Amino acid sequence: MNGFIVVETMYLSLNHIPILKNINLSLDRHQFVSVVGPNGSGKTTLGKAITGIIKHNQGHIYLNDKNISLLSLAEIGRTIGYLFQNPEKQIFAPKVIEELSFALKYKKVDQKIIEEKTIEMLHLFDLYHLKDATTFFLSQGEKQRLAIASVLLNEPEYLILDEPTTGLDIKRRKELSQLIDKLKTKTGILSISHDKEFINRHSERIITMKDGCIIDDKKC
Amino acid sequence: MIKNVDPRTKLASVICISTLAIIFQNPLILMAVLFAGVFLAKIFGANLLMLIKRIRHILFLFIVIIFIQSLFVKTGTVLIGFENIRILTSEGLIRGIGYLMRILIILISGAILSTCDMRKLIQGLIQMKLPYDIAFMTSLGIKFLPLFVEEIKDTMIAIQLRGIDINQLSLRERLEIVSYLFTPIIAGTLNKSKKLSLSVECRGFRAYDRRTSITKLKMSFTDYLMISSSLLFSVGLIMIDKILV
Repeated sequence: MNGFIVVETMYLSLNHIPILKNINLSLDRHQFVSVVGPNGSGKTTLGKAITGIIKHNQGHIYLNDKNISLLSLAEIGRTIGYLFQNPEKQIFAPKVIEELSFALKYKKVDQKIIEEKTIEMLHLFDLYHLKDATTFFLSQGEKQRLAIASVLLNEPEYLILDEPTTGLDIKRRKELSQLIDKLKTKTGILSISHDKEFINRHSERIITMKDGCIIDDKKC
Repeated sequence: MIKNVDPRTKLASVICISTLAIIFQNPLILMAVLFAGVFLAKIFGANLLMLIKRIRHILFLFIVIIFIQSLFVKTGTVLIGFENIRILTSEGLIRGIGYLMRILIILISGAILSTCDMRKLIQGLIQMKLPYDIAFMTSLGIKFLPLFVEEIKDTMIAIQLRGIDINQLSLRERLEIVSYLFTPIIAGTLNKSKKLSLSVECRGFRAYDRRTSITKLKMSFTDYLMISSSLLFSVGLIMIDKILV
């Protein structure tokens, strides 16, 4: 199989319960792929397995021809941007501005560039007025926008978005969709979602999962 | 392994061995307490292998603390020293070993308590006439502990997924990263506590003074036997220690 991310006969169990069974998948860099399916079908686990957050038991996952079992989370994180289902799980800095500039600061990026990129993201996600706010006091929608902005600031080559539209109002969903239209040209995206409108608007391919298996994989 | 032991029996045994660990100085007596702790852990079905697995990463820290502790004791025969400077003495080494024993006994006590069904443990405390509010708070505190661990794990994953390799950072930067772990823990705890308090209030918590419970604990002959054995063992060791002194 060829592709930016390749999953070969992958099995994954948690506490001896099989969650993913015989997953074979190839994801390209310039494609928007949606994963759909009922709750508990293994969508989020698939995203976490591809990112190396949860280790698979059998089979192989390749990221840009490298076996992810041999890569550290940081190495995977430099290529894949992962948006958690619950944004609270990935926000750890006390201030909005700190959360956004965190990765760039430790990657020793020039302070001026950090400021420019951070301010650009703050405007893009309508968070500028909250730049000095405490992340703890943000609303769910604001946390979601901050989490997406932080992931994008890292400039990943591939994005895995777990329920990206959760907590966003109609206006923000529209803005996120416009942003994804721009991103799609340079970044591959795997979106796990229940939002039919969002899926129909962006998907070039839809993977349907049920009981830990891929039951349908169609191009749109 | 004895099954269906009342949580109050386990609590009594743990109180005995942890109290003995604090009051004794003699490493031989402490070793006897440690063996008693291991024996109790075995019969209560505690997973000591899991305990060893969990603490293996911080074992070096214990050894460092023991060494530092022993450095400050200057009495006894000099084991390591240069001319007039005493670095390690026999007394210091004994105290260090005693300290290690105490830590191990406390960890084993925790492992014994972890075999209790938390709901039953709280019921045990209530039947020991502990006010329900305090028992409920204790149960909540216990439930929050694994959440803290989860929160730390999630934050570490989130940090690494931003492409930050913690092993490649300087010590100062690593310490800075550690400070980032506190925000989600404090924020998460406050948030969960707030939601939880709202939820219990909505379900009528403390609406009435008297509460009934579907769970009722009853002590068996084995429980009484084990509590008496623990007490006898404790009194016996205290007397032996007095004779040795």
